[in-house]
Amino acid sequence: MRKFLVISIPICTIVIFILIMQSGIFLKYSSVGDDNIPKMIEKIMENISEEHWEEANKNTADLKEAWSKIVFRIQFSTERNEINDFSVSIARLEGAILARDKSSAFMELKEALQHWMYLGK
Amino acid sequence: MNEGLVVVVRSVIGFFSLLIFTRIIGKEQISQLTFFDYVLGITIGSIASELTVDLSSRAWPHWIGLLSWASLGYFMEVITLKWRYAAKYLEGEPTIVIMKGKIMEKSLKKMKYRVSDIMALLRNKGVFDLNQVDFAIIEPNGQISVLKKPEHMPLTPKDMNMKVVPDGISTELIYDGIIIEENLAQLNKDKAWLIRELKKQGINDASEVFLATLNPAGSLYVDKYDDHIKKILDIGDYKGPY
Repeated sequence: MRKFLVISIPICTIVIFILIMQSGIFLKYSSVGDDNIPKMIEKIMENISEEHWEEANKNTADLKEAWSKIVFRIQFSTERNEINDFSVSIARLEGAILARDKSSAFMELKEALQHWMYLGK
Repeated sequence: MNEGLVVVVRSVIGFFSLLIFTRIIGKEQISQLTFFDYVLGITIGSIASELTVDLSSRAWPHWIGLLSWASLGYFMEVITLKWRYAAKYLEGEPTIVIMKGKIMEKSLKKMKYRVSDIMALLRNKGVFDLNQVDFAIIEPNGQISVLKKPEHMPLTPKDMNMKVVPDGISTELIYDGIIIEENLAQLNKDKAWLIRELKKQGINDASEVFLATLNPAGSLYVDKYDDHIKKILDIGDYKGPY
């Protein structure tokens, strides 16, 4: 029993550490349904291409809220720069929507999507 | 992102990973480390510190680096244990620098040791006169082993044909006022015997004792909390803050 514990405790510890460090790949995806980032970005793209600026503004606020929830979950397994870059993309998107600038908004959304893909990888 | 919290979690990961890996790598003491072991330790420590505070990259690649270095260290250890030919190449071998009282200049040059280094190492071993040295060997960890000439060897009871009783290793019977009953049982003694022995030394209760040990020869060492020593000798050589 003692030998079993001596071997199993370090193995379990290492496995837990690996799970924490690799959890970003799983935890960035929606757990309850209201924080599905790629879907939200897609929706904002639709809003912008149809020039529904008010709706795009509201959906961006939702995206920002969902992002803050996700950051809490993935902060232990992702790099700070990717998290900050995604936050900056959202801030720029807000500015582009405010200025009704379609091309800048698309650029920011695409960049945000790229950061999203790299998160946890 | 709560950077403080992330650093705490990464510290826990780094600390315990390092602890587990170093336990697996081996139990060599610092003094037994070769130069390569020393560098290996520094590198692994440096990777662990980056894992903890470098938030600009994920913890995972740092951890893989830590695992790789530790695995390579372990792999090298296994190779040197199983394959003496490789051990000779990887860890080096002892080199004789003084043989039959003569300094081996070529060996010194090869090892990049100066005579003053050898003299310093000999002084560390308590040898101040080269005339006393028969053999001196530089070990792979950089320490020197010295064999003195027979006429300079210390006198032993064997030389005098004296019989001595082996002291053996002492076992703790009381620590911090608490009797360690498992150790008593191991030595085939009981609590009543210990209390009788303590009473002989004027001690009425085990709680008065800080440490009591017994050696296989049957000699009991007792240190009480109350030592009746009011002024402790100050062996410091310079006046400090306390």
